[in-house]
Amino acid sequence: MGLLDLDFLDDVRRMNKRQMYYQVLNFGMIVSSALMIWKGLMVVTGSESPIVVVLSGSMEPAFYRGDLLFLTNYQEEPIRVGEIVVFKVEGRDIPIVHRVLKVHEGQILDDGTVRFLTKGDNNSVDDRGLYAPGQLWLEKKDVVGRARGFVPYVGIVTILMNDYPKFKYAILACLGAFVLIHRE
Amino acid sequence: MASKKGGGDSSSSKSSWLAVDNKPVKIDKWDTAALKNALDDAAKKVMLEKYGYRESTHLIDLRLLICTVGVGFAMFALVWDYLRPFPESRPILIISSLTVLRYFVLMGVLTLYTTYKEKGIFLVALDKDKAGVDPDNVWTLASYLRKYDDIYQLTMTYKKGETGLEREDKMSKSVANFFDENGVLCSDLYEPIITSLQSKLSTEKKE
Repeated sequence: MGLLDLDFLDDVRRMNKRQMYYQVLNFGMIVSSALMIWKGLMVVTGSESPIVVVLSGSMEPAFYRGDLLFLTNYQEEPIRVGEIVVFKVEGRDIPIVHRVLKVHEGQILDDGTVRFLTKGDNNSVDDRGLYAPGQLWLEKKDVVGRARGFVPYVGIVTILMNDYPKFKYAILACLGAFVLIHRE
Repeated sequence: MASKKGGGDSSSSKSSWLAVDNKPVKIDKWDTAALKNALDDAAKKVMLEKYGYRESTHLIDLRLLICTVGVGFAMFALVWDYLRPFPESRPILIISSLTVLRYFVLMGVLTLYTTYKEKGIFLVALDKDKAGVDPDNVWTLASYLRKYDDIYQLTMTYKKGETGLEREDKMSKSVANFFDENGVLCSDLYEPIITSLQSKLSTEKKE
């Protein structure tokens, strides 16, 4: 025993190869359970990101910063005015949550596509300024999903984590180390 | 805690036999899992090293296999999804009979397996027949320690190879009987428990 007292590693030192491997697998199972729940939700909802967090106040008073939204993206359901959609714009990493203001489909567009315009409830102008340069309308391929339900304020944790990435990595590293070292 | 109190100096003599790498087994005595693991390991050591039985690893190997396959499915889905992002990967996520679903099925299987098949068994040891004619005698050790509880239950089962007869004996004692105040496992207090269970089960067979 000295200054470098690695007693907390004793658990690990006493393991045999099988236990060691099981420990690694245990870690893998925790990670993959989380991933598989996410992928499962993707398959069920048809959306590439079934749960999103509202990052801005542009939809107040419907949604506030930190609200957690549950999305679905069923292709057969038409997009209608008044619905809240989450969409991606070229050149922007973060999807936007806004309400549909205008929809064009059917007679005008023969090719069966849909074009629509969005606006944030709390914004004074529509979203054309947010779209890619020269883009006037959104199309179905831009849609990530439509809001089906929300949980208020839960997502604030995500916002904090994103604001302080070091904090996030520290927590993840601690949890990972704990799972690997602590024998069940 | 144990009747013998002592610090680090006397622990070397007390727990020398079950020490690992010449270091007495010292654990966090408030950690239930650590207590159970330490006692399990010590019992295993007595059975394997004192009596020279061979460990049979079928049970744990099967569990490792289930886990590996499960994690393998998850990795496969993940890599596929990474190479072809979501809308395109949807078929494979579903088609491969739901890689996702299969993962959860496997995890369910794993839970069932550990609760019903393993039932806390931490050692299956084979007492090889010296002549190599009769089937091996099988010793099975299972333990149970509820969280926040101090009663350690150890079940030892002995199956005679020739006759196939099974005998079982149990002991349940507070873990405080085997650890001193510092959380050092006292092998001189624990070992006799194992040896007495062992001798009781193995002598009964002669009747």
